[in-house]
Amino acid sequence: MKFTLRIWRQRGPNERGGFVTYPVDDVSPDMSFLEMLDGLNQRLIVAGEEPVAFEHDCREGICGSCSLVIDGVPHGPERGVTTCQLYMRRFANGATITIEPWRAKAFPIIRDLVVDRRALDRIMQAGGYISVNTGGAVDGNTLLIGKEEAETAMDAASCIGCGACVAACKNASAMLFVAAKVSHLAMLPQGKPERTRRVMAMVRAMEREGFGSCGNQYECEAVCPKHVSVRFIAMLNREYLRASIMGTRIPARSDAPHGESY
Amino acid sequence: MAVVNGEEREEMNRANEFVDSVGSKLVASLAGLGLAGFVIFHMLGNLQVFEGSDAINGYASFLHDMPILLWTARAGLLTAAAVHVGLTIRLALRNRRGRPVPYALRRYRAASVASRTMALTGSLLLAFIIFHLLHLTVGVIDPSAPDGMDVQGRLDVYGKIVHAFRNPLYVGIYVAGQLALGLHLSHAISSAFQTWGIEHAALDRLFKLAGPGVALFVVLGNLAIIFAVFLGWLHP
Ligand code: HEM
Ligand code: SF4
Ligand code: FES
Repeated sequence: MKFTLRIWRQRGPNERGGFVTYPVDDVSPDMSFLEMLDGLNQRLIVAGEEPVAFEHDCREGICGSCSLVIDGVPHGPERGVTTCQLYMRRFANGATITIEPWRAKAFPIIRDLVVDRRALDRIMQAGGYISVNTGGAVDGNTLLIGKEEAETAMDAASCIGCGACVAACKNASAMLFVAAKVSHLAMLPQGKPERTRRVMAMVRAMEREGFGSCGNQYECEAVCPKHVSVRFIAMLNREYLRASIMGTRIPARSDAPHGESY
Repeated sequence: MAVVNGEEREEMNRANEFVDSVGSKLVASLAGLGLAGFVIFHMLGNLQVFEGSDAINGYASFLHDMPILLWTARAGLLTAAAVHVGLTIRLALRNRRGRPVPYALRRYRAASVASRTMALTGSLLLAFIIFHLLHLTVGVIDPSAPDGMDVQGRLDVYGKIVHAFRNPLYVGIYVAGQLALGLHLSHAISSAFQTWGIEHAALDRLFKLAGPGVALFVVLGNLAIIFAVFLGWLHP
């Protein structure tokens, strides 16, 4: 197969970028999108040119590294897959394919198609964890979790943190990502003790990073490679409302029995 | 309830000032729903032109006979409008800053046109609302409008409406206003369910339909009045 690639090239974070057109031929329909780019890069290296920088790691749809906007859609035309799982047979022979990086203020470009997504890590650091004290391992099935809760938590936990939701959103909002993390932990007994603090801390961290706000347009869900549902955004909104009420309660004052402290 | 330390408490209190986007949006949504409630009530009240001048003039004087209620309602609406406009403009500006470099190519899969043009339809609505207040409430736009009383000495609202919508210029402006209102409401009402965290496996489809449904209801009611006059079905 043959294609004309329009690729965003940018030497560094503060450099001016622009599109460069590369013709590619000899592409097998069974190549993945990234293998097709590998082929182009081999050619560029042999010709003494700079290869196109793009992110990838697992190449099996689980790590969330790959991040290309292909023909105006994050992760390209196939639904429910990451860029690394996209195959060239999905494109018409001879097509022109436009490839851009994730674009958001919170995701500054490092080089070409590689963006800095540490903003998502900083949101996680603000509250996307549970505080586990050391001690003996708990017996299995001590904490019973209902089937429904476990399944829902797993659905939320399937987020791989790729940031396609941000890339797709007109407002560059990270709500689906934050909603997935908040909902995942709020569903489970291990996450419940810190849920009030967590949702506020994560929303505030999201705010600090300069993401836009959610307009309930649902473009995020439509590009998410893991089909994370926007119902988790409703769940985040409920968690936020709950925390707004619970978080402002004056803590009950009681004397610690027998001199115990908390 | 987990015990929170001072630092965390302070963090939560600061977050509770509704300064973040999730909180702003909740407050904006509450004000917007208040406005939506008024818009529905306003349309239903105005439908009384179809019962003739006596009914609508009587309705108007009924409202004007309760000045405290009337002015409290007006103050409430004005506050709701100010809060809604202020917060949504702030959110829209923030959203615009979220992506300083636009995509060269952009394809939407799910986001409706109405949802992507809320700031535009909102701004058009604001312009229309100001025009509408100056036109039919304050009465400074059209000097030729009859400003008289009806035979029973009540404000002749019927006469004002009939005079306004015989003029194609006003019909055009009001139809454009209804278009903006329809688009804005069609996303707004459905969106509000999500904003308030209301989702349900089976009822979600109903929530999705609620926006366009309410929008159509309000817009068709208002358009019926405008066109009934314009096409000559309502006589002076
Ligand atoms: C009759 C007048 C209006 C009504 C009934 C109304 C109603 C609403 C409602 C119910 C929402 C949904 C909030 C949510 O998602 O929960 C909304 C959103 C919005 N409104 Fe209005 N509104 C009106 C006028 C305006 C005006 C004058 C402006 C603008 C300057 C405006 C700008 C917006 C924007 C930008 C949003 C989207 C907020 C977001 O999703 O972040 N609206 N409106
Ligand atoms: S919610 Fe989906 S699109 Fe967003 S970061 Fe997680 S996996 Fe990627
Ligand atoms: S490279 Fe790991 S998900 Fe694509």
